[in-house]
Amino acid sequence: MRSDDHESFQRRIDETLAGEIAVGEEESLREHLGSCTQCQEYLAAGTRVIAGLGGFSFDVDPALQEKVYASISLRAQRIESRQPSRRRMAWICITALLLSAAGSFIDLQFGGLIASVLDMHRTQMRHGLLTFWILPSFCFLLLFPILPLLSHRKERVL
Amino acid sequence: MFEYGTTLAASVNSDTQQIARSLRQGNVIFLQQLVGQYQYRLVRYLIYLLGRRDEVDDLVQETWLRVLERGSSYNGRSRFEPWLFTIARNLAIDHLRKGRTFSLDSNDEGEQDTALQTPASHAPSPFTLAARTEDAERLAGSLQLLEPIYREALVLRFQEELSLQEISGVVGAPVATVASRIYRGLRTLRSRLEGGNHEI
Repeated sequence: MRSDDHESFQRRIDETLAGEIAVGEEESLREHLGSCTQCQEYLAAGTRVIAGLGGFSFDVDPALQEKVYASISLRAQRIESRQPSRRRMAWICITALLLSAAGSFIDLQFGGLIASVLDMHRTQMRHGLLTFWILPSFCFLLLFPILPLLSHRKERVL
Repeated sequence: MFEYGTTLAASVNSDTQQIARSLRQGNVIFLQQLVGQYQYRLVRYLIYLLGRRDEVDDLVQETWLRVLERGSSYNGRSRFEPWLFTIARNLAIDHLRKGRTFSLDSNDEGEQDTALQTPASHAPSPFTLAARTEDAERLAGSLQLLEPIYREALVLRFQEELSLQEISGVVGAPVATVASRIYRGLRTLRSRLEGGNHEI
């Protein structure tokens, strides 16, 4: 058999060992291996190499695992401390919602009364409540769920 | 003929989903279990990649910290190992680039110019120290001299049993390139085992 035929089959042997050979080529390779001693030896040598790679056993320092555990715990604590807890977030959102609602209620029910006591026009009173109470509360309500996401994105970039 | 059966479909299952869920939640206990489960394989991979032992422990530690910080990016739709090794590989490359002129990756698609070696260590070869069989002892010297990208391909294929597609994802090279690296690595080591001299 010509040497380039052997090279072709040896290439297929490599493909088989790497797990890449097509089904049709594998069949023709089987047939060839049935009669070609050279390629049989080539396959055997490749198999032996792969088996040889399994003959290594690397020492792992037992202290490394403990060291990794400790560093993971420490890093997790730092990450946790940078993120507001969910419960705190929930309370802040509820408070912001209640403040928004309270401000709106006061404006609707008592706006006229407060305006007359303070000698202000009703519209001015409403604008004041909106600007300094209702809108800031509402903004807190919207922003606080978003802030952790923004800080998390910043951490990932870093 | 034997097969290195791909187990991708079987592996993408509830286990990987559980890993993804736990990493997303930042479950430290679960992560520590992963450390125990994958530590040796991670060490082995980095030794094969770097060809040395002395810097591996720090990289292993850094890899797990990176897993903790970026756990939410693992979606559980593929096996955990390729994702883990990708992180380790990127850290190893960053480590090599800091103040050094070496690279793991070949700049030539045809791989005529193979990647530069990592700097020679005066410490004994980790492969020589780790060899437990006669064939492994014979392969140790060649493995040390083999290009990192070929060693990497060999360990990922034949020790970690990753598919060519998975290896391609880890190393960032086309499947054909990965296959070529495996062939060249095998041929070099084969000739060594047979006692011949093969130009690396």
